[in-house]
Amino acid sequence: MNIKKQFKEGLITNNPVTVQLIGMCATMAITTTLFNGVGMGLSVLIILTCCNVAVSAIRKIIPNDIRLAIFVVIIAGFVTIVDLLLQAFIPALSESLGVFIPLIVVNCIIIGRAEAFSQKNTVGASFFDGVFQGLGYTCVLIVMCVFREQIGSGRFGGGLIDVSNGFRFTLDGTGAGIQLFNADYGASIMNLPFGGFITLGLLIAVMQHFLKKSAKKKEAEAAAAAEAEKEAD
Amino acid sequence: MNKILKLTVILFLICAIVAGVLGLINEVTWRRIDQIQTEKTARAYAAVLESEDYEDLGVEPSTINKVSINSIARASNGAGYVVEVTFSGAQGSVTMVVGVDNDYRCTGVSITEHSETSGLGANAASPAEVGVNFRSQFVGADDSVALKKAGGEIDALAGATITSRGVTNGVAAAIQAVKALG
Amino acid sequence: MTNIISIAIGAILINNFIFSQFLGCCPFLGCSSKVDTATGMGLAVVFVMGLASAICWVVDTYLLIPLGLEFLETLAFILVIAALVQFVEMFLKKSVPSLYSALGIYLPLITTNCAVLGVVLLNVQNHYNFIESVVYGITGGVGFMLAIVLFASVRERIAFADYPECFEGFPICLVSAGLLALAFMGFSGMQIFG
Repeated sequence: MNIKKQFKEGLITNNPVTVQLIGMCATMAITTTLFNGVGMGLSVLIILTCCNVAVSAIRKIIPNDIRLAIFVVIIAGFVTIVDLLLQAFIPALSESLGVFIPLIVVNCIIIGRAEAFSQKNTVGASFFDGVFQGLGYTCVLIVMCVFREQIGSGRFGGGLIDVSNGFRFTLDGTGAGIQLFNADYGASIMNLPFGGFITLGLLIAVMQHFLKKSAKKKEAEAAAAAEAEKEAD
Repeated sequence: MNKILKLTVILFLICAIVAGVLGLINEVTWRRIDQIQTEKTARAYAAVLESEDYEDLGVEPSTINKVSINSIARASNGAGYVVEVTFSGAQGSVTMVVGVDNDYRCTGVSITEHSETSGLGANAASPAEVGVNFRSQFVGADDSVALKKAGGEIDALAGATITSRGVTNGVAAAIQAVKALG
Repeated sequence: MTNIISIAIGAILINNFIFSQFLGCCPFLGCSSKVDTATGMGLAVVFVMGLASAICWVVDTYLLIPLGLEFLETLAFILVIAALVQFVEMFLKKSVPSLYSALGIYLPLITTNCAVLGVVLLNVQNHYNFIESVVYGITGGVGFMLAIVLFASVRERIAFADYPECFEGFPICLVSAGLLALAFMGFSGMQIFG
């Protein structure tokens, strides 16, 4: 169980959205305000971690034939728990995210991690995997929200940050955010579906560019080291 | 045969355990969720027309100008009526509550359910300044209310013409529904 | 009757499941490299969505609501959908094996298609009756099929285009999908019979 490696993987090299290319529905749909993004990201992180731990705990007694059905039942259970708790305690987030909270059940990230990781690893490793993959997902959501909100409405932190009486976080979604430039000058098309598609496309392109560059660099270094070794002989 | 039976039993057991846990959580939260819903409706009614109590007139749901009239309630202090309407917004249905006084003028607008885009159409329902300013334009309007683009007085929300037009039509329809009561 | 037509046109054009509501993006991006695979996938999704809408409405109205078990909706619906997809798979394997092998891995993936669970949950949220739910399910699927077939034809052309290396794979598809979404925006605000 290598925590540093899992951290780097979850955030960058094996990021669920930009590298594994799964879980994109919600990413594009709800990233219109920072409140949505952080709320959704943390919900997915909690559900992913709980599901990973649950699946890992019973991995030795699940019959192989019906494992997918059992995963789905466990995930649906945790999603409903989070849904009920959000409706009761943070109703603004529940209204804002709407049908996408129950849709976390079919979010490929959670089923994917259960299938690929937690059914083959210990509870501890699965716990950290859930946390780091969830963190990676949340980071992608935050980046997309900030980008879309900035260009679309000229503000940062809509729904979450309120600066009218000094800086504070509003957990009931009423914060108006920091208006960096007048909303009339924003390209409000970024708040619409088009903005979602384009932002995610650009984000994945940027990530792919940097990952390829670093992969090429590593290859060049390895080749140079091999050359140096040959010469030394 | 035995294997299928065993698999079914295991699946059923896990479903039962999960359903049981959910039932527990539901017990803890349903009262609070119900309360939040009732408070929301009560707040919306009070925001548009203040009164101690409202009496539902039990009118048949109808449609005026593509706006569905869901219910009309009379304020017990005689100040007027509260009409609940539903219309098509940009991303789905929007349900709002309109207060109408005895002179057939709007006393206030409050949006209770919507799925409009955050930052655009959702601003119509927002408690922030932009939402408050938009909704306060309708106070005192009669059933000829229209957007500035259509020759009227209402400033549409930036980038949310469809939602703004929907709210305007909803207010007009609500006033007409009250007029039709006689 | 007019309500049915407005639901239908709404689901296909105005609030298209992919380009407006983002439900069903994963198979939309993963399964659309060729027009014939896309058409097959689209038809399977239409069938599953219509049938799932019908069955889940019945389960919800006659089982969950009378017993006050609405909080079990998500769990019940996803189990119904998983079972339904299993049956569709078995049925296709026996009667249309060519389609079954063409769809391959994508058939079981309909279970995790956001559009199927999404349409069932939206039926509950919008308080539709039985006919309206089935119509919304089928036409939602038709909208999905329209989107995926249109996109597949665009993607077949992208293969010959000259784009920067870092856009290889999903990014260029997402950008093209965004432009299609922009085109579909032209339908928004269309009011048919209210």
